[in-house]
Amino acid sequence: MPGGPLVDGLLLLVSGIGAGVFGSLLGLGGGILIVPLLTLGFGLPLLESVGVSLICVIVNSGAASGVYLERRTANLRLGMTLELFTAIGAMAGGLIAFLLDARVIEFIFTGLLVYVAFTMARRREPAPSTPGPSMGSPGSMDHVETAADPSSEPGGVGRLQPLLDRMSGPDYRIRRFGFGIVGSLIAGVASAVLGIGGGLVKVPVMHVVMGVPLRVATATSNLMIGITASASAIIYLLRGGIDPYVTAPTAIGVFIGASIGSRVAPRIDLRLLRTLFVVILLYTAWQMLQRAIA
Amino acid sequence: MTASSPGGLRTSATGAEPEPGMAPSGAVGLERSVARLLQFGTYLSIGLLLIGALLMIANGIGPRSGGPAFDLGRLVGDLGAGRPAGFLWLGLLVVIATPAARVAVSGVGYVRRGEREMAVVAGLILIVIATSVLLARGLQG
Repeated sequence: MPGGPLVDGLLLLVSGIGAGVFGSLLGLGGGILIVPLLTLGFGLPLLESVGVSLICVIVNSGAASGVYLERRTANLRLGMTLELFTAIGAMAGGLIAFLLDARVIEFIFTGLLVYVAFTMARRREPAPSTPGPSMGSPGSMDHVETAADPSSEPGGVGRLQPLLDRMSGPDYRIRRFGFGIVGSLIAGVASAVLGIGGGLVKVPVMHVVMGVPLRVATATSNLMIGITASASAIIYLLRGGIDPYVTAPTAIGVFIGASIGSRVAPRIDLRLLRTLFVVILLYTAWQMLQRAIA
Repeated sequence: MTASSPGGLRTSATGAEPEPGMAPSGAVGLERSVARLLQFGTYLSIGLLLIGALLMIANGIGPRSGGPAFDLGRLVGDLGAGRPAGFLWLGLLVVIATPAARVAVSGVGYVRRGEREMAVVAGLILIVIATSVLLARGLQG
């Protein structure tokens, strides 16, 4: 997609806006769209695209989680405790990413795109009475039993019980914390290698396994993305994996797009948008697969 | 005190021992401070990136020109000379540093409130971030 300096900049800005709008409307960080956009649309090397995407998801996380904290939807204690493990995973992932063959990452990304497309296609609409921000994650479930006795759950940690009590909310108790640690480590590695926020892993683990209500899990995951992505973005930055000239227009675009998305969300037919998104994801997966094979 | 938040504590009638699910005094203030820090950091970084992008346009630099490598030693000079790279790198540093600053502020808040476990968690996160920097610099060399 060649063009002059200004045209290229505007194309990146518009692409970022598109990724931001889609990401905001569908509850994704935007990374799942930015990496294929930059690699397939602009011919950027995969690692550089991942580096740019990490910056974009941090910007998105900072803007959104500030609002979530003010609304007291995000759980700061739970988020900070789990992000210790996402940060460790992201640090390891950031180092692994530079050792992996780009084709391996492209194959993994293709699998991720197909997975998200199918979970998105199967996803039910939330009940109209569902309160709070509607930033659910693909793969998550809408209804779980949230109140449970932590001491009777596998993965409950006896000595950590006071800490778990303090992390719990007024209407839910944290359980199976061990699974949360494992899920956070995996989310951190995935974020660093693929340039995504990792909410695809964190939200289902927190909601389905740990008993955190969906909107709290989504908001807390959003808060955690900042530290997760910055732990690996540092490695990309210092190893030359971030091009400031590409990152600036893309990140500004994602920021604008996410702001637009959150404002127009009530007026959008999400079913139609989701169908369109699934088609785009599957087409992108096909393109990514061809690139990996070639 | 009945105010509560996700992950918040509730102070008992005596105020001595917090109970699960209830927010102690100061919890709301800490979350608000952290929220404002995140919003300030995000707007500051976007502002710096926007200045850098406008300078790119003014200087006829395109995104495909191949951006300069990160060099902390050149940052101040680039900023002083009004070069786009200075503003872009500073904006990116603010983006990356904002979450760590949020953890540091939270850690200080937890220390003040006597929540040792959470203060230790904040300290450990900052150690992981510092380790990332050291590892990346080691590999860079």
